[in-house]
Amino acid sequence: MAPLTPYTYIQCPCSDQTVYHPGGAASDPEDDDRAFDPKAPRSNYSLYPIEYLLYCEDCQQIRCPRCVTEESVAFYCPNCLFEVPSSNLRSEGNRCTRSCYQCPICIGPLQVGAIQPTTDANLLPTQYQANPSGGPYALFCQYCNWTSTEIGIEFDRPSGIYNQLSKVNNGGQPKLTLRDVKDRRKDNPDEPPVPDDQVDADLQFANLKAFYQQQLSEANTSLRGLPLHDGLGFSSPAALTRIMSLYTGRGHQGRLQQGPADIMREALGTNDGLKVANLDESGDIKKLMDGGWGATASLEQRSQQPTESGRFEDELRPIAYLLRSKRSKRCPSCRHIISKPEAKVVSTRFKIRLVAKSYIPTITIRPLNPTAPPVPITYRPMVQEEAPLKPHQPYHFVVTFKNPLFDNIKVTLASPNKTPGRFSSRVTVLCPQFEVDANTDMWDDALKDDEKDRSRKADEGPEVGKIWEKGRNWVSIVLEVIPASLRLDQQQGNKGEKVDMSPLKEGEDILEIPMFVRMEWEADTQADMDGPPSKDKESREKRELAYWCVLGVGRISQE
Amino acid sequence: MSGSGTGPTLAHRSVASIRSVPTIQESGTAPHTPPRTISATYGSPATIRADDDFLIIQIGSRLVRAGFAGDNQPKAVLSCGPRDQRRAGDFRDWQQGRGEKPDLRAGEREYEIWRWDLRDVDLGLVYDKLDRLLRDAFGRCLLIDSRPRRAGLVLDSAVPLPVLSTVLDLLFKGFQTPIVSLMSTATMSIVAAGVRSGLVIDMGWAETVVTSVYEYREVKCTRSVRGGRYLNRELYKLLRKILTDKDEDEEGKRAVSFAECEDIMCRLMWCRPLAVKSTQKQPQRQSQQLDTVEEQDESEAEPEQSEHSRHKSVASIPLRSTDPPRTIEVSFDKIADACDDTFFDPSVAPTTFDDEDYPVHLLIYRHLLQLPMDVRAVCMPRIIFTGGCSNILGIKERIMDEVTGIVKRKGWANVSGKHVEESRNSQFSDRRASIARSVSPTATASDIAEEQGSSSRPSSIATQSDLGDPIEAKVARHRPQLTQMQGEFRVLRSLGPWAGASLVSQLKIPAMATVDRELWLQQGVYGASRPNEIDVKAQQRQSMGAGGFIRGSGGHHTNWTLGTWGNV
Repeated sequence: MAPLTPYTYIQCPCSDQTVYHPGGAASDPEDDDRAFDPKAPRSNYSLYPIEYLLYCEDCQQIRCPRCVTEESVAFYCPNCLFEVPSSNLRSEGNRCTRSCYQCPICIGPLQVGAIQPTTDANLLPTQYQANPSGGPYALFCQYCNWTSTEIGIEFDRPSGIYNQLSKVNNGGQPKLTLRDVKDRRKDNPDEPPVPDDQVDADLQFANLKAFYQQQLSEANTSLRGLPLHDGLGFSSPAALTRIMSLYTGRGHQGRLQQGPADIMREALGTNDGLKVANLDESGDIKKLMDGGWGATASLEQRSQQPTESGRFEDELRPIAYLLRSKRSKRCPSCRHIISKPEAKVVSTRFKIRLVAKSYIPTITIRPLNPTAPPVPITYRPMVQEEAPLKPHQPYHFVVTFKNPLFDNIKVTLASPNKTPGRFSSRVTVLCPQFEVDANTDMWDDALKDDEKDRSRKADEGPEVGKIWEKGRNWVSIVLEVIPASLRLDQQQGNKGEKVDMSPLKEGEDILEIPMFVRMEWEADTQADMDGPPSKDKESREKRELAYWCVLGVGRISQE
Repeated sequence: MSGSGTGPTLAHRSVASIRSVPTIQESGTAPHTPPRTISATYGSPATIRADDDFLIIQIGSRLVRAGFAGDNQPKAVLSCGPRDQRRAGDFRDWQQGRGEKPDLRAGEREYEIWRWDLRDVDLGLVYDKLDRLLRDAFGRCLLIDSRPRRAGLVLDSAVPLPVLSTVLDLLFKGFQTPIVSLMSTATMSIVAAGVRSGLVIDMGWAETVVTSVYEYREVKCTRSVRGGRYLNRELYKLLRKILTDKDEDEEGKRAVSFAECEDIMCRLMWCRPLAVKSTQKQPQRQSQQLDTVEEQDESEAEPEQSEHSRHKSVASIPLRSTDPPRTIEVSFDKIADACDDTFFDPSVAPTTFDDEDYPVHLLIYRHLLQLPMDVRAVCMPRIIFTGGCSNILGIKERIMDEVTGIVKRKGWANVSGKHVEESRNSQFSDRRASIARSVSPTATASDIAEEQGSSSRPSSIATQSDLGDPIEAKVARHRPQLTQMQGEFRVLRSLGPWAGASLVSQLKIPAMATVDRELWLQQGVYGASRPNEIDVKAQQRQSMGAGGFIRGSGGHHTNWTLGTWGNV
């Protein structure tokens, strides 16, 4: 079981608008009252940790990755950190065209190396050295020891691997391109077309494209003669022929026949892109029988390949690194930039970044009486797991709201009494309404004497309607949870309802509490941003923001 | 899409042919000026932006392919498994050491984007899944920003309307696509094979679909559930039998995880050649040498040995999703049995099949049988296999052998039964001969007419008028005739529907069904008219301009259609 520490997720309000109603029927009015169900399959797509969320200051709205529009700032290779201009992207594709490759077996980075170990030049006289330049070279994986010699590919030079690799097929045969075929045909025109088994997908596509373009342009010229498109002028010879044929009558019809047909013909040969499929695959079957499991490539390896590859391991090719992009983000409604990274590839800084964390309260949750011992500072990244929650036993959790704003906020919480889903636990928010102080100067916290607050919790338990703890800009409240039993035989449905007796699904033992958070605060009007400063400094504006969040509390134990 | 390849859409073609200037010279026809853009006279200079990215998106029930028009393959091929459906910020897969156990509960349903049976499909979830997939494809693989881009959508022509409207909603609302062209998979496969008509056998995940296309028009479409999902189930049953010796899953837990089972299917699945064929090869030898076994072994060492080793060869499969991980031995014979049961089902009489689960060879035969004769003749030499299951080693050959076998046995008569068999056996030889004699001349005559009709219309006019001009007739006789193959089986290789759509879109051939964003947002799916009610030319004229097509026309109601998808 994966460990589980209490967590919080926030639902972006944009997902309300994209709720899809089949048939286009308007939603029922009572739908709005429906509590948000974090276990529903659709909610996986609308819940985000607060770190993923941005905030638009002008619209005063949370923005998730789904509701921003993006613009590319820079493209770069994640391996060599070389910036690729966007014009190259269209012509050279979305992969690194230098020498950055991933291993097709384990996706580790590949390195170029000489196949023969370089001997010390001082020891051997030069004439004994096989190749003074050090070649041939191959790609080596440092992790799984795969080399490109396994697929029969070697290189003459240690640089420009991309160009060298794109000219070679697996096995070392040179790759045929349309230009090669054309050159060959130019040299001796009587040569028969390339045999079908040498035509790969790239060449077939190029052939097809040339064929269709030729057909279309021919069809075009023949259509030109039609009166429908008169008005084009008589400048073209085709139009002249047409006029001539008008006057000379049917004598020219024979000539017309020589001209292009007004309909595209189908591809007839290899040069047109026609390829007869090779049905005899007995060779491959034999290879499969002999090689067995080890000779085949897994689905995962095949999905990494930039082209759709065959099933055998020796058909895999080194994977050029996929480029990445830096993107700036805009609010879709007001078009303001809400996140903009620096254009330099190596810089991780942002010019503009309006993260939600500095606009909405951070919600953290922890057990009141932790069962796991605290982790010593030196082991800090380690996380101690809490014991699973026992059913039918009340648990208390401390939920802390930390206010990032410079104004006091009023928070109202609402949560369904019973969590939605098959196993509904009882939830009580002991203090659903409270105020969190502004994020004032840090030193206020130290100067303020809040000893009496701290001492209280030692002797008293949590009390209904009261705040548990309070600090400079944060407030903790207590949440009482009585987990439900996960046993199916204790399930009782309402009368007439069918009880779902299917076995426990993945994630159903995790207790998640949906909670509706509404915050209200008074802020300075935005007048100072645009336009002259308002006359009375006191003009304040009431604002509110409401959203659903999900508190992941823990795992319920299965007796 | 159908038929629009030949429609008078000058402007688009001329845009395409600007680039193809060198090929015009090669074509060796009479000299003429290179064609020009006509749209420049009508449209704004914004048409130069015709070079803008045009996205091609193919959506199947398991995979989404996305890329730019003009490329020969998609830049992103993405599937949607349970691990792709988790919340943002869930890094379970990358957490080291805590080795997440493979999910034994997730079944095929969790791996499918949508299914044909819409009763239990949450369209909202389909929307979300596709949204995430396309965002991933565009942002990570295609590296494009979220500026609006025109898109071509390649879909099976029977995709249910609710799914189609979900997809269109997503493209228009989520990605701000200004215009979406709908293209059907079968027609696009035809285009990617370079022919105008053909029989497309799409062996996909949910279904095997046989579609006959004639002159870029879908004529008929028959389906069978015998596809990848069926095969995966058969293979899973085999593995479960080996692992647990039971026929039922315990507590909804699978014996092998779905992902692993599919991996095995993709790695090891093969199809044995037609049994009749291998026995036919050595019938006399068997009768002679049945009693002398040793001799046979000596004389027939090579093929027999390979035959033997094939039967004996065993694949050892390391399984990781079982607890504890173990390696099982599965004979290749058993694996081929699963394939046989799925696609051919030889053990069951052909009369017992339901309409939706015909074995593939019967499906193809029945499909061809129901076609008009000339369409059948044109389709037979243009058979195209697409889809993931057509990659099973040897399956294409087997299917073609099976179909040829049926045709040899039964001909093209849609009657079967004892009496028919008897009468056929008695009259078979002379009847066939007479048929052959009587049919062949007419067939060749229609061949020529057909060929002239389709390949070069003017030449047929010429042949009529030739009578008066003996010289022309002579010239015509010596001109090489384009022969079109008819009436015999031939399998062509297609680059697949995605590549076909990429070709079509790059050549600026407008699709029949083009949906405009504003109209969709205004009217929704019910605003579509029937395909024959729209003015194709008017629509194409509007779609020519890169930007303000319908907005320019003053917003008064223009008819639009969903093409074959809108035929409810």
